[in-house]
Amino acid sequence: MMIKEMKICLPLYKMVYAIFFTVILSIIRGVFYSYEVGIALEAPMAMLAAVFCADTYTREITAKRWEIWRLYSEKSRLSAIFRRLKIQEGFLLVLSAAGYGMFFLFQKPCSLLGIKEGAGNEAQLFFMYMAAMAVTLHFFGILSHTLSCLFRNMWAGIGCCMVLWIVADSVLGDRIFGKWNLFSYTFRNVEDCGDMGWLWGKLLCACLCILMLAALPLLLKRQRA
Amino acid sequence: MSILINDLTVTFKNNVTAIDHGNLEIPKGIFGLLGENGAGKTTLMRVLTTVLAPDSGTVSLDGISYEEKNYGKIQKRIGYLPQEIDLYPGLTLQECLEYMGALSEIPKEKCRERIEYYLDKTGLMEHRKKKMKQLSGGMKRRVGLIQALLSEPEFLIVDEPTTGLDPEERIRIRNLLVDFSENRTVLFSTHVVEDLAATCNRLAVMKKGSFLYAGSMRGLMEKAKGHVWICEVKDEEEARGLERKYTVSSKQYVKDGMRIKVISEEKPETPCTATDAALEDAYIYITNQGNFEE
Repeated sequence: MMIKEMKICLPLYKMVYAIFFTVILSIIRGVFYSYEVGIALEAPMAMLAAVFCADTYTREITAKRWEIWRLYSEKSRLSAIFRRLKIQEGFLLVLSAAGYGMFFLFQKPCSLLGIKEGAGNEAQLFFMYMAAMAVTLHFFGILSHTLSCLFRNMWAGIGCCMVLWIVADSVLGDRIFGKWNLFSYTFRNVEDCGDMGWLWGKLLCACLCILMLAALPLLLKRQRA
Repeated sequence: MSILINDLTVTFKNNVTAIDHGNLEIPKGIFGLLGENGAGKTTLMRVLTTVLAPDSGTVSLDGISYEEKNYGKIQKRIGYLPQEIDLYPGLTLQECLEYMGALSEIPKEKCRERIEYYLDKTGLMEHRKKKMKQLSGGMKRRVGLIQALLSEPEFLIVDEPTTGLDPEERIRIRNLLVDFSENRTVLFSTHVVEDLAATCNRLAVMKKGSFLYAGSMRGLMEKAKGHVWICEVKDEEEARGLERKYTVSSKQYVKDGMRIKVISEEKPETPCTATDAALEDAYIYITNQGNFEE
């Protein structure tokens, strides 16, 4: 079932554009220090997740299969959607890890290790980045899927995510939301590796994810035209 | 299993009434649904599959009323082939059916057996390893039908299942539906009259959201009895004159001119003889004469 689901939600063109996006980003987005790599990746990968996951369910609408889907039990429908989200987000997380490596490969950023106190070591920075990315990708993937289901249109889902993305990933967003910003990891104090204030923003993302997932059965029910 | 529809009305947001106070009983066996494009057939089927909620009226399936709380129970008993469907292009035919079977919660082994059986019945066995995107329109239509049959539903709803099929495939599908309808209810919607003539005993005729007729095939043909005429005319000019005055269901060139089949309440003024009504003639008679009740 998982393999069939992979063939459905991870067609070649999606993998190609996602990989291409990450490679290009790692080449053109300049970084000097290694702690900047995570910052350079978080927001763009979030937008990629929004685009990537928007058609998780709407592909059933565009292919006119949704009327048949309605006859399946709620458990079956939700399981299929969760499997698709898991596969897509898993792929993006692996790609994020690869993207992190690509920055080192193409740009060879300097490490602050041993130069600046509290800068942390490379492994610590990487694990922090992966934890933040897991939440960010999950949040934007589910948000775009939820909005697409709500409007029954993937472009509407992507558009709404883009508005939120622009607001959150801005100086204004940083001022308004502070440590609760969706991109709190990007706006953290990079010189202090021990500062975990950014976890609040990620906690908010995780809570919103739970809420959106809980609302999914209701959204699927209201698919009646 | 029988389906009862009582005073059903469905109106869309643009104020178009797709079904207007419809009453219908769909008994066990194959029941045909005939009507021109836009008659309301697909809307009726979407109500029966719980996709659309009616504005007023009631529907019940074996005594279970179509209400939100019962949708789960009803949906389990229904199989549906929509008019248009694009099945997973990246999966092979076998994978696609296995996937849809798993979503229908059919046990794996049983699902494989059924897939084998229906692939054989529909002549698709040799194409099972082909990707869905490589199949022809007719093949995709047959796969769509198999997915609807896979859970062996008590109530099967098929919307124009023979569209895009060649004559041989059509006969195969019609026979499959007849076999399947034993002890089950099959609602067969089409605008191809000969498909219904070959499969159903009972049918309903829809036009502009209303049921013009519901009953036996024989009853429908009885209605048109004495209203179908064969006229022999000399040339095209005379034929055109007849077409202007009457409803013509067929015309063909013969040795001495043209033979025209005319549907008319009264005997045409041109020399003609009365003939038996075929289902197509009866359908044209009914849809041109207004409402008739059996």
